[in-house]
Amino acid sequence: MDIELVKIIIYIFTGGFLSFLAITIVRDNLGNRLNRVTSAMLLFAGLGPLFLTLATIIHQSPQASTGFTDSNLFNMQHIWEFFFPLLLLFSWIFPEDRLREFRHPGLKYLIFIPQVIHLLLMLFFTTIADLLSSFAIDPDATGFSKIILVPASYLFSFLLLIISFIRNNHIAIFGSLNILYILTAIYFLESSRKLVTNPRLITQTRMVFHGIRFSVGIYALTFLGSLLFQKLFSDTLLSASYMLSSLTIAGIFAYATIRYQLLDVRLKFRQSFVYTITSALLVGIYIILVLKSETILQPFFGAQSEVLSYAFIILLLLLFQPINGFIDSILKSLFIRTRTDHSTIIERFSRQVISLFDPKKLRQIIEDTLKTSLLVEKVYFVLFDDEIGEYAILQSDDFSKRVALDRDDLMLRGINLLDSPTYLHSLSDYMADSQLANALNERKVRLVLPMKDANHMLGFIALTDKVAGYRYSTDDFNLLGVLSNQMVTALTNARLYVDSLERTRLQKEVSMARQIQLDLLPSFPPDIETIAISVHSTPSRTVGGDFYDFIKIDEDHIGIVIADASGKGMPAALMIAQIQAIIHSEVNNGNRISTMMKNMNQLVAEATSPEKYVTLFYGELNTKQGEFHYCNAGHNYPILARSNGDMELLTTGGPIIGALLNMEYTSTSVRLGPEDILFLYTDGLSEAMDKDENEFGEKRVRDLVCENRQQEACDILDNIIKEVRAYDNTYPPRDDTTIISLKTNSKLVTTNV
Amino acid sequence: MKLSDREQDGIVILEPKGKIMGGPDATLLNDKLHEIIEAGQKRVVIDLSQVNWMNSTGLGILISTLTTLRNNDGELKLANVTEKIQSLLVITKLAPVFDSFDTIDDAVKAFK
Repeated sequence: MDIELVKIIIYIFTGGFLSFLAITIVRDNLGNRLNRVTSAMLLFAGLGPLFLTLATIIHQSPQASTGFTDSNLFNMQHIWEFFFPLLLLFSWIFPEDRLREFRHPGLKYLIFIPQVIHLLLMLFFTTIADLLSSFAIDPDATGFSKIILVPASYLFSFLLLIISFIRNNHIAIFGSLNILYILTAIYFLESSRKLVTNPRLITQTRMVFHGIRFSVGIYALTFLGSLLFQKLFSDTLLSASYMLSSLTIAGIFAYATIRYQLLDVRLKFRQSFVYTITSALLVGIYIILVLKSETILQPFFGAQSEVLSYAFIILLLLLFQPINGFIDSILKSLFIRTRTDHSTIIERFSRQVISLFDPKKLRQIIEDTLKTSLLVEKVYFVLFDDEIGEYAILQSDDFSKRVALDRDDLMLRGINLLDSPTYLHSLSDYMADSQLANALNERKVRLVLPMKDANHMLGFIALTDKVAGYRYSTDDFNLLGVLSNQMVTALTNARLYVDSLERTRLQKEVSMARQIQLDLLPSFPPDIETIAISVHSTPSRTVGGDFYDFIKIDEDHIGIVIADASGKGMPAALMIAQIQAIIHSEVNNGNRISTMMKNMNQLVAEATSPEKYVTLFYGELNTKQGEFHYCNAGHNYPILARSNGDMELLTTGGPIIGALLNMEYTSTSVRLGPEDILFLYTDGLSEAMDKDENEFGEKRVRDLVCENRQQEACDILDNIIKEVRAYDNTYPPRDDTTIISLKTNSKLVTTNV
Repeated sequence: MKLSDREQDGIVILEPKGKIMGGPDATLLNDKLHEIIEAGQKRVVIDLSQVNWMNSTGLGILISTLTTLRNNDGELKLANVTEKIQSLLVITKLAPVFDSFDTIDDAVKAFK
């Protein structure tokens, strides 16, 4: 095959490829200006090689005349120069449509004038020259004709001179102009490229810009080079570089369109484009092989080759289908399964968000997905804020302030009624006096995407126009519908997760509070020679409202406290902490018990509301001689079970602590003898209930203490707990339960002091 | 707890029914009380005949009612105090703080 044939094949392929791409783009999305311009640009770029091919074919034919280079067909190749003004136009609308703000849209067509002139000049110059030569003036002419025609003749001659000058140097003149166009276009492309923020658009523009720069760069270099160093640039080198240039343009646009969904061409068109091109290639190869089959087989099989060639054709036919399928699958994996394929978008999105619980990151992913897959220019979130109980427009890059919305906002109510993505302008009934409507208009929102779960609207996503003026298609709406469902799930999950984090944090705090409370309680009862003490305390929650303490006053005296704050949990525990602090400071001050209780009541009543109170029993026990001085502030009566079988209740004292101001307290003394039992408890014990809600009761507690009077302090405690558990096996217990079981022994000095 | 109220001789009679415990009961009684005070009423009798149980928070509600009324120059009297509640009042030594009467009529008369 000679070089001319290769050239022709490449020309045909490039031209056909570009034209076909142009048609594909327009076929799918004619409504968009960018698509029209790009398509026209590619079409003209493709026309160049096609006309060149035609010209070359004719040139090679035996009938070719010597004056062929001036033939109209050959000159038609200059039509491809419309590529340059179209490139300039492209640079004005991609990625930012600058023309939208252009006041006189018609003026933009002026940039086509030089190319029109060039084409006309190339096509009609011969005619014009003939026309002008017919004006040759008869030198003998006189009078009127001489006065009028001679200057006209000079004028025409002058024009002719200029035109022929241009005509003779047309390549240099119009080529330079074209390079000027290229430079201007690159300038515009570069300056608007800096404004691009959409991630998908960045990839697209990078690709397209590098392609354009590379391609027109080659063109410009070749052109200038051939102009300056004519001898160095052979015809072959020239055509090679032009071919490379147009192939780059063709390839880059095709690739960006197919792979990065440049120009928003739908998947099925991108697919059909790829398939058509590859099928055409395959069919081309097939035809060549079939045509040449005899030649190929000749050296091997000689005479039989004619018969064999039929078999060969059938074999090729059989191979064609699997090869086509194989190429098909390669193409699919290369191009079609891209980020812009809708099922891929959905799959990718759900994979990303399934394990994501950070609402902020989640919103980022939603935003990126919308920007990348749908080319949305800007995304705003309006979400229900649990903290303020209102919807709010969240901050965005361009609006740094978060806007809380009135719950009765008309537009908010309107959006609440929606189930699917909806154009904002179709909600015009809800615009009046709406703060939200104003905010959305200010943000140039085009589309709202409500996010609803079964019960209510979590919020909505507001989308502006797509970049470069693309429109939302039916497919986009379907995709948005599916995505919004996934977003609802993801956002709900994230919120639940934050809730559970908050719960965990609270639980941690409560368990810290419990540790503090446990640290405040004596870890085990004091070790006293004359008295055995056993304690049991179970809070009904993590922290409790019961409290007991043993305070060493001096060598022979110990303070015993048992108290129960009203309510349960944290509030009760906080009161208990306060009470403990007051008791310790009062004991240190050495006040009399009645004064101490009065002070404590006053302090607590002043600090808390009346329904917050503490029942409290405090007594000071002489551990040598058994004298017990106490005051009972509204607490369950402690039981004093004497060794001789008598039983006393320690009732003397005053009202509960902290309920009412200015209460009076009295104290009294009892004397404990050897083997006497002092049993103190909180109402969690006596108010235990069986399943019919009958109380365990104070009487039963007293009876049990008396029945167990022969036992040791710890056994009494254990037996009673066993009994009460058998009665009420609720766990944890309904109420905080604390029991102090105390038994004196014979070492107690029994003589009267 | 359920709460109804009526008036007898210019005195508000509150009739709680069931158990007086914490939480919603407190809010219910408190709201009612503020309603009464805002209406210019200051004398209140709580009929406890249908209250079968009261826990420490329930007692707190009673104390709070008493305090609120006193702070507004009002007065609270209890009527039909059941044995269970009476023993609670005794143990907490609040019995002297609350004026308790056997019947509503007695309580109402005591205001005169």
